[in-house]
Amino acid sequence: MTERKYLPLKDIIKMKEGKLGTIHPLSLLAEEAYGVFAELGFEIALGPELESEWYNFDILNMPKDHPARDMQDTFWIKDNKTKVLRTHTTGVTASATEQAARAGRIPSAFISVGKVFRNEATDATHEMQFFQIDGSMLGTTEDGVSLANMKGVLTNFYRKMLGDDIEIEFRPSFFPFTEPSIEVFAKFKGKWLEMMGGGMTNPAVIRNMGLDPKKVQGFCFGGGLDRIAMIKWGIPDVRLFYQGDLRLNQF
Amino acid sequence: MLISYNWLKWYIPDAPEVDKLMDIFNYHLCEVESLEKKSDGDAVFDLKILPNRAHDLLSHQGVARELASLLDIKFVDPTPKYKIPQSKPTNLKIEIQTPKCRRHVGRIVRNIKVGSSPDWVVKHLESVGQRSINNIVDATNIVTFDCGQPAHAFDMDKVKGLKLIIRQAQNGERITPLGSTEKVLDETMMIIADGEGNPLDVAGIKGGKNAELTELTTNIILESDNFDPVSIRKTAQALNIVTDAKKRFENDLSPELGPYGMLELSALIVEMCPGAIFEDIVDVYPNKQEERKLSFSAEKISKILGLKVSDKEIEDILKRYNFKYKESDGKFEIIVPPMRLDLAVEEDMAEEIGRILGYDKVLPTIPKIKFKPKQNETYTKILWARNKLLNDGYSEVMTYTFCDKGEIEVQKSASDKKFLRTNLTDGLKESIKLNKINLPLLGLKEVKIFEIGTVWNPKEEMHVAFNEGEKVKEKNLYEFRK
Repeated sequence: MTERKYLPLKDIIKMKEGKLGTIHPLSLLAEEAYGVFAELGFEIALGPELESEWYNFDILNMPKDHPARDMQDTFWIKDNKTKVLRTHTTGVTASATEQAARAGRIPSAFISVGKVFRNEATDATHEMQFFQIDGSMLGTTEDGVSLANMKGVLTNFYRKMLGDDIEIEFRPSFFPFTEPSIEVFAKFKGKWLEMMGGGMTNPAVIRNMGLDPKKVQGFCFGGGLDRIAMIKWGIPDVRLFYQGDLRLNQF
Repeated sequence: MLISYNWLKWYIPDAPEVDKLMDIFNYHLCEVESLEKKSDGDAVFDLKILPNRAHDLLSHQGVARELASLLDIKFVDPTPKYKIPQSKPTNLKIEIQTPKCRRHVGRIVRNIKVGSSPDWVVKHLESVGQRSINNIVDATNIVTFDCGQPAHAFDMDKVKGLKLIIRQAQNGERITPLGSTEKVLDETMMIIADGEGNPLDVAGIKGGKNAELTELTTNIILESDNFDPVSIRKTAQALNIVTDAKKRFENDLSPELGPYGMLELSALIVEMCPGAIFEDIVDVYPNKQEERKLSFSAEKISKILGLKVSDKEIEDILKRYNFKYKESDGKFEIIVPPMRLDLAVEEDMAEEIGRILGYDKVLPTIPKIKFKPKQNETYTKILWARNKLLNDGYSEVMTYTFCDKGEIEVQKSASDKKFLRTNLTDGLKESIKLNKINLPLLGLKEVKIFEIGTVWNPKEEMHVAFNEGEKVKEKNLYEFRK
């Protein structure tokens, strides 16, 4: 069987005819996203869903007692103080970058799609589990990976995912792991929608990865994949993704 | 943080119109969560002040100063209007016994009259969702929302020994905070007590019943102080009390603001009680906040943003923001204003300059870097498994990670399913039932489904499961694709 980066049209037709099974929309979207980032040299990174406190928080400049930890409703594990259900996949790309640096592989760029968890009441736009897409790019100061590069990479991404007429916008924000921090908005059907957060990787995070912020710089970003799917296909309720209901597999 | 447009205009009369201001906030400072245009002509912004600016922007003056600098418009300094009568010598004693109190500014005011507040005070408070209580309490609240310094007033005649002691509580010590039930304290919590040891105040969080103002109060002790943010946060969490004072202190307020808070509070008391007699301020400030310098270069800022920023543009910004600075050859050194605790490293200045100029100036550029990506083995296996099953006519589903039994349990959950699943089979069986009902709708003769997902036994593993009729087969991904 051949490897496919994303779904060819003939397969989609076969699916509709019932000869092929149908793919879950989030898998379809993840495969498309990986394809888009792979073209720019990004490498896929995966990591554990039950994450260490270090990679979910500390490495990302969120030490204990930091108010930023309150910004996320974290699932802590009973009788295990060192593990959490990851609240984002930012720790995955951070860990992958750390390993790449140890192997002397800088510049490097990683992209990770994975399930994340938030301990909050569910409604049409909130779910306790959802998928996040996280990316990071780190280079030497000579490579000069900049905020403008992040805008380039994300403009490319949203155009490929949502259409060539998509505009994107950066607005000021705050995350402990980025400085400057920005919120990414995309204009879809005439409306500005909040899509992602990100920015230039905070020097404190770079130091936590065992690197010297004077010698390397880069960016990282992350946001909900479910949200892109909901916008792209007009899916009204995030909870539909996890019901095991095949009526969803129509894209 | 609710910000009243009319209140802002006291300080920046040349502020742009409401709708324009909304865009300015969103693009240069922080998100406007909502905007309410009121029937009396005021408009109230709900600003999502970012945590790194909560040191200086949780107030009308703070926001007004920011806008004055950002837009290069006039800021009307209120201090020349604040005329406090010549103060008299005082017997007030203040003793700080814990390093978690960083400054305490106190003063006795005699001959006040507790009553109603002037109209403007009531309106200002209402605009930010507060109700008027009495003139003295309102004055302390106005100071909080106006300059960001929490303030409090005790009934002086209930403070034994004319002495305030700021110390850690004793285990089991009790206090009844205003508007609350009695709380039992422990030694991690900080209180303000009087000369005889009676607890008067959960420091930095809420005043207590013991020295509460009444209509009969004539003499008061004003306080404008500063506390360690982590201590405030933990105590408030433990006691489950959220106040406007707590929100400001836990975000690390500069102790340099203390005397200004006292000045403004005193001026308000003068306005409300013209016969008030002021005593000297007692300011205990054991460790003065150190002056910090920050160096950065136009070159580095440009490199971070990917936008050429000139020395002149930077100088223009530094002047507008009243930063004291030195420049030589594109290298800048600024003295960081005491309230700007967010500015610590060069990258912080990149953010400052980026947001002031506007991130629309940063143009999208695809990096020209030759990466050497490796293949991810696990993902390759997932793709293989998914392709195989799709080709065999199976459709993919996703089910919930949480279930009602398992080996790993989460501590607290918004749902009753507290365990991480040990298999995919249980979820898949539910999915088979559900999809069977919908077979005609789906145009299918039988349900053929699969899931690829994580389970815990208790080790985390990636599994693949698919059905054969009613039966479900489940394998480790690494066995499925050897």
